[in-house]
Amino acid sequence: MTASGGQGNSQESRARPGQRRMAQWARDYVRLPGIPDEFLAEDGAPRPVWARFFDAFAALSPADIERRFASADRHLREAGVTYRPHGDTSDRIWPLSHLPLIIDAADWRQLAAGVAQRAQLLEMVLADLYGDGRLVAEGAIPAAAIAGSSEYLRAVSGIKPPGGRYLHLYAADIGRGPDGRWWVLGDRTQAPSGAGYALENRLVLSRAFSNLYKSMNVERVAPFFEAFRDSLRASADRDEPRIGLLTPGAFSETYFEHATLARYLGFLLVEGDDLAVSGDRIHIRTVAGLKRLDVLLRRVDSNMLDPLELDASSYLGVPGLVEVLRKGGAVVANMPGSGVMEARALLGFLPNLCRRLLSEDLMMPHIATWWCGQKPAREEVLSRFDEFAIEGAYGRGVADFPGHGPVLPGELSAADRDRLKDAIGHRGIDYVGQELVRLSTTPVWENGRIAPRPFVLRVFAAATPNGWTVLPGGFCRIADRADARAVSMGDGAVSADVWVVSDKAVATSTLLPAVDTVRIRRIAGVLPSRAADNLFWLGRYLERAEATIRLIRALCTPLRDPARANATGSTPAMHSAERIQRMLVTWGAATQTARTNPAKVALEALQSEEKFGSALSLVRSAQRTATSLRERLSPDAWQVITEMADRLAIEVHDDDGVVSAAELTLQELASFAGLAQENMNRAAGWRFLEMGRRAERAINTTRFARQFAYDEAGDEDLDVLLTLVDCQITYRSRYLVQPLLTPVRDLAVLDPYNPRSVAFQVAALNEHIAALPSLKEHGLIERPQRLAVAVEAMLTTAEAGSLDVKTLFALEQDLLNLADSVGLHYFPHGPNASRPEKLTGLA
Amino acid sequence: MIYDIRHVTTYSYETQVSFARCSLRLEPITGDGQQLVSHSVEIRPKPAERTARRDFFGTLTESVLIETAHRSLRIDSRSRVSVARQPPLRDAASPPWEGVRDNAFEALSLDATSPVGYVFASALVPVLRPVTAYASASFSPGGGILAGAADLMRRIRSDFKYDPKATVISTPLRDVFEKRHGVCQDFAHVMIAGLRGLGLPAAYVSGYLRTIPPPGQPRLQGADATHAWVSVWCGSELGWVGFDPTNDLMVANDHIILAIGRDFADVSPVDGIIVGARKQKLSVAVDVLPVD
Repeated sequence: MTASGGQGNSQESRARPGQRRMAQWARDYVRLPGIPDEFLAEDGAPRPVWARFFDAFAALSPADIERRFASADRHLREAGVTYRPHGDTSDRIWPLSHLPLIIDAADWRQLAAGVAQRAQLLEMVLADLYGDGRLVAEGAIPAAAIAGSSEYLRAVSGIKPPGGRYLHLYAADIGRGPDGRWWVLGDRTQAPSGAGYALENRLVLSRAFSNLYKSMNVERVAPFFEAFRDSLRASADRDEPRIGLLTPGAFSETYFEHATLARYLGFLLVEGDDLAVSGDRIHIRTVAGLKRLDVLLRRVDSNMLDPLELDASSYLGVPGLVEVLRKGGAVVANMPGSGVMEARALLGFLPNLCRRLLSEDLMMPHIATWWCGQKPAREEVLSRFDEFAIEGAYGRGVADFPGHGPVLPGELSAADRDRLKDAIGHRGIDYVGQELVRLSTTPVWENGRIAPRPFVLRVFAAATPNGWTVLPGGFCRIADRADARAVSMGDGAVSADVWVVSDKAVATSTLLPAVDTVRIRRIAGVLPSRAADNLFWLGRYLERAEATIRLIRALCTPLRDPARANATGSTPAMHSAERIQRMLVTWGAATQTARTNPAKVALEALQSEEKFGSALSLVRSAQRTATSLRERLSPDAWQVITEMADRLAIEVHDDDGVVSAAELTLQELASFAGLAQENMNRAAGWRFLEMGRRAERAINTTRFARQFAYDEAGDEDLDVLLTLVDCQITYRSRYLVQPLLTPVRDLAVLDPYNPRSVAFQVAALNEHIAALPSLKEHGLIERPQRLAVAVEAMLTTAEAGSLDVKTLFALEQDLLNLADSVGLHYFPHGPNASRPEKLTGLA
Repeated sequence: MIYDIRHVTTYSYETQVSFARCSLRLEPITGDGQQLVSHSVEIRPKPAERTARRDFFGTLTESVLIETAHRSLRIDSRSRVSVARQPPLRDAASPPWEGVRDNAFEALSLDATSPVGYVFASALVPVLRPVTAYASASFSPGGGILAGAADLMRRIRSDFKYDPKATVISTPLRDVFEKRHGVCQDFAHVMIAGLRGLGLPAAYVSGYLRTIPPPGQPRLQGADATHAWVSVWCGSELGWVGFDPTNDLMVANDHIILAIGRDFADVSPVDGIIVGARKQKLSVAVDVLPVD
């Protein structure tokens, strides 16, 4: 590579190597034969928007380019931009192409008009299908082409959609065909995914190439989301509506996106369990009781939405939701049943439907499709069989042929080919034949040069009171091989940001609303019980991890200090070490072994994958819990937990390794606590995180006190306790003598000024409980508060001299009850509570 | 023939149930050769809310909300129905099955009675190649639809073993077909799957059989519980015709229809969500007595 200048060089001296690089890239870029390319025109010359882009891009030095790419990748990793391929149990980092797909504004205007028209057409078809049914009765749509779709919901037929429409968000998958026009490959009307990833891709790329991005006049995406949010708000039947984004949960392929969108749009991220039907409305279960939910943006498929009237086996929905729709009690976007328009069987009928319903021609063509349920089309497909790709008519894949993609008859064995032909002959209604197309290519960055790859672009349209608005940009997936028909995230494809480049400067905008139109609020929304439960447990897991690590460190430290071990004599030291080991075993952090091997126990307690109580397992539990809280945690906080889990999994081999891993983890735990303390809004959510931490620390400290400040404890044991509760310095500055039982007990348990004492934790708990909303209707003090007040009174009045093991044991039980009562009181529907189940049996 | 029907469903729970939301489909239909004379349902504990509406398939569906804590739920349904049906003979002349299939595909309606709603796989009835192959043995090219469906019904009756212990409600069709045993619900699902595989419209019928057979006739299988059978669309002239594969019978005046749908999921007589039970036990008692 050229030894090009650093950042200090002037524009002129950089331009020459830049131009050389650009020319070299263009020469090396070999277009695929027979299909258009986004970068190079037919004559081999760069298209104007791309020339502008690469001019500026080539001016960056190779080292600078790599640095920026690395920074984009780092952002994706750190922000935890992930997806979960279907069937996987762990998340993968989102692969992002480093180059955007660039579309010229004039080209885009046409495309957007076509998408908006199509959205409007599909909305009108849906309204007829579930309403008057004239299109079917008059033969404009074959009844079989509808009846075959599992998304045609008979339960919804005849319901007037609350909010006045079926589609609120629509997406079209498009590609540029051999003729240079944009073609629709498929419609997404159920619950289109990808808009959140588009948002994240934009954030990453515009940051990595901020000057380039600014100079290109790229259309902003924020106004689209703003319009979408405002339209959903307007669809509700009260001002200031409460809006939820319904996700299947953290195991879903696109959970990250659900969290991103919920946070960006200011919606509550909810799961089916969070919601309940009461009266004619949907409510959200919160720590302050049931709160009305007005609009539900769903990312759960229609059939899963209501086990009472739709798929009875679903746990993802809300029992009674369809009845709420029938009574007009909530807006669900998109309306359940909208997914029927995704059926390929319908594609061939849309041009006529467009003329009939909109009195205009369909602007954007779609991939030529023959539905084999009708005789002429079936015969056409069977007579030129090898020229088609065969697909399921309703999007379930091709029956009896494995995989989800299309089947190419020309590539089948003779037997399979005959079998498919026969099946189409008998049940043509299940199949479509589609023209084989190859799509245009766009540049990707590969080893310091650019190369052409086919892509599919998902374009989003939102319904607004003033018609459809189209997101300028979208979600672009780029194939890693030449056949672009099978582009899906599972297939090793990457995604790309999409830049619609304007010829004039664009107005900048963010989702921040104009100041004077917004009512000032200081507390953000309501806290769903499940989120509160997760926050509470996040606090507990992290605190328990800290306690475990303190035990591990205490176990290793005296062994590392031979001088001290010699000085105190071996017997009491071993005795303390044995007690520590026993605690770690009881906590499920280590296996019961010969007690002579503290090094092995420490190692196991630190990073065993199998033991549920090891520091690694606890941090992973915290991470799992945090996954369900993504929209409520700052990216920094998330990053700390992720790094901690990753680092704890790196194997260490000896005491030194264990101690330094323990030290690092304690620092990370402290930094998480600091982030929570400094950055979290002092609303209910913060209180539950704090309560989890306080409750767990109170329990653990009491346990430590019982184990190491027992009635006959020697100074070695008391020394361990002071270390475990981090009070060595305080004790020594206060008492100037070796550890003695009563003062140590007082400091660890009763001292209200020591932030590590049990009394301090209980006082904090009490304060939080008192500040939380009351659910009481009977006017009596509620159970968590009753327990907390009683424990606090006991700790306030107790004297250290009378604090024996029996009292400590009773205190520990009281604290465990208190923690449980918080769970029962505020999250009665949490994961540990009984969930709705089906009446079973053949009645 | 007029029947008095008593259908008592009792759920007993191991622990207290704090909340239940149920759908009841317990009112026999009027039409298809029968007429509902009277009907009532009593529920214990008393529901906080009861609302009724006709669902897509025309079945009266009652939504019930119970907010009283309870250890057992008892649903006592009584109906009086008059039945007068004239089913075609199984060897009567009927249109060739391929023509019936093609007519069904070309239907111009999505209504509950349109054949097009019953040719596709549904929640509990997948279309499986081995089942289709099994069914196709009854349908020779150009053969009549009645003869074909009746032959398939006869073969299911002789090839499958009636065994109430063999299956539960969630046993997949594939297992039932491979093991060749089950109850009325399973046989109905198998027959429906085979017919749909061939492109023929087949619906699931839930209902009752008269408990005591007329003098000199054998007691029918499934008479002391709810029963299930199949309705096949036999072309626009013959319309929907009932076949009972459990008893190898053309449906006539011993059958009383409760509800019709694509499979059991559309018509299950009692269905719902409860909160709190650890284990549940269900007992169903059905009495169907002719009124003279």
